[in-house]
Amino acid sequence: MRLALLCIVGVVQFGLCVRPLIEFEYQPRWVAAAAFTALALVTAACAVWVMRRKPMPAAVVVLGTAVTLAASAGATRVLPPGGHFGTPDWSIGLVGWHLLLLLLDRAPALLAAMAAHLTASVGQFMLSGVHDRAEIGAAGIVAFGTAGIQLAVVPISRMLHHRTRQAMSVAAEQDRLITRVMAAEQWEREQRTVFAGQLGVTLPLLADLADGVLDPRDDDTRRRCSLAATQLRRLFAENDEVPDPLVHEVTACVDEAERRGVEVSLAVSGAAVAVPPDVRRELTSPVVATLAAARSQARVSVLRTHEDVRVAVMADVDIDVVTPISAQVVVDCDTYGEHVRMEARWLTTNS
Amino acid sequence: MADDEQLSAVIVDDHPAVLAGVAHWLSSGTPPIRVAASGHDVRVAWLGEGAQADVVILDLHLGGPTPVMGELRRLVEAGRRVVVYSMRADDAIALQCLELGALSYLTKAEGTEHLLKATRAAAAGQAYTAPSLAGALAGDRSAHRPVLSARETEVLIQWFQSQSKEFVAQRLGISSSTVNSHLEHIRVKYAMRGRAAPTKAMLVARAIQDGLIQLDDL
Repeated sequence: MRLALLCIVGVVQFGLCVRPLIEFEYQPRWVAAAAFTALALVTAACAVWVMRRKPMPAAVVVLGTAVTLAASAGATRVLPPGGHFGTPDWSIGLVGWHLLLLLLDRAPALLAAMAAHLTASVGQFMLSGVHDRAEIGAAGIVAFGTAGIQLAVVPISRMLHHRTRQAMSVAAEQDRLITRVMAAEQWEREQRTVFAGQLGVTLPLLADLADGVLDPRDDDTRRRCSLAATQLRRLFAENDEVPDPLVHEVTACVDEAERRGVEVSLAVSGAAVAVPPDVRRELTSPVVATLAAARSQARVSVLRTHEDVRVAVMADVDIDVVTPISAQVVVDCDTYGEHVRMEARWLTTNS
Repeated sequence: MADDEQLSAVIVDDHPAVLAGVAHWLSSGTPPIRVAASGHDVRVAWLGEGAQADVVILDLHLGGPTPVMGELRRLVEAGRRVVVYSMRADDAIALQCLELGALSYLTKAEGTEHLLKATRAAAAGQAYTAPSLAGALAGDRSAHRPVLSARETEVLIQWFQSQSKEFVAQRLGISSSTVNSHLEHIRVKYAMRGRAAPTKAMLVARAIQDGLIQLDDL
């Protein structure tokens, strides 16, 4: 907006005002030339800040306004007779643009300066002699015409500011939305990867069954299927909203074993404590592995003491159970005859 | 009170099938335990033959949602040896029953073997710690719980996890009788705190006699 005003000031001063300055007789001429130069200097001074798009310091504004008003008074003073508000009065419109350029953000000061400028011009016009009605009318039209156009710039500029702010906030909101959408997409991709990882042995098993590589009648295939089924049941239970997620997940594993005809006794003791999901996964993986291998009987227990959480399973198994590798829990595995005992222990005091 | 030849028990439970089942288990044990009386009301333990029975086998939920803790307390205060036999595996209630002076707390998931052992132990004035109760003791996080040694805690946990004393003994490298004495010692420690009850005093006195604890421990 200021840049546009700067251009207007330049065009008006050098395009429209130079001609009357040369054509008409000003008494003395050097005052008019000095006024013109002073106004040109004010424009140049303003340009320093406007081009850098920085607000003008208050001192510059005050000085500029004073110089402008003084130049205006000087230029009007030396007008040839009958020149007021006419073609020789080059400064009457130009000064208003200068004041706008200087005081666009300071509306009350702008109004006061404009009023001072017009009052001074009208005063000098009245003092310059007796005028008929036509002259007064013409002067009034010029004065109100220029001032009206110039003052209209103020609300236009305000509206533009307002619209700019709105547009910027809408753009910022859109940016935020786009970021959120991208974050959600990333999360979804990660969830898919995590889920595919958690499916464990299921995917290769299904692929082998589909390819006919594995025989469903084979005992080993059945054991792998039961392991996959137990892993899936635990996985489905993982995100359920329940008061005691650990016991809920262990119960899901026990359910799956019972469906296969294994007689499982489940015991839970100690008040529930909060266990992070990844620790729950590690605590339950020995249960998954052992129950999937259990032949006919199993004992599963969950115990929460004042210092640890222990999930243990004892079962009769025919095959070797692979001890799951865990980062956060201690897994202990022993074999007693055909019984395997596996215990995962998580120290609550470490967390 | 005790019959020289045969132990006797009174069964209080609101389910007829449980009454019949428990009566069958007791009478078919070796040696058999005589069922002096049975019924769905705790009155059978106070009147008639039931009043003379060595052991009271008490269900905590007699037709209502609230456990009959008051009845348990009155029986224990009268010097009766009570085995609590409950549908629910609730640690807090199990610990509360011990606090009141019950000699055993069994859940109905624990079958004939534990019930017979608990009944015989109770008839002799001894405590019996079944696996579910061991879990409740191991998971006890109350401020006033007795201090257990690391070995005692391990015995409780292994017994809870495996339900087999042979397994506990093998795993910890001790004999089965040592496992039992650890469990007894733990129960004596629990008996020595909280409110007084004749059965608890009996446990402590017996522990001193057996040299399980010293007078200084009191």
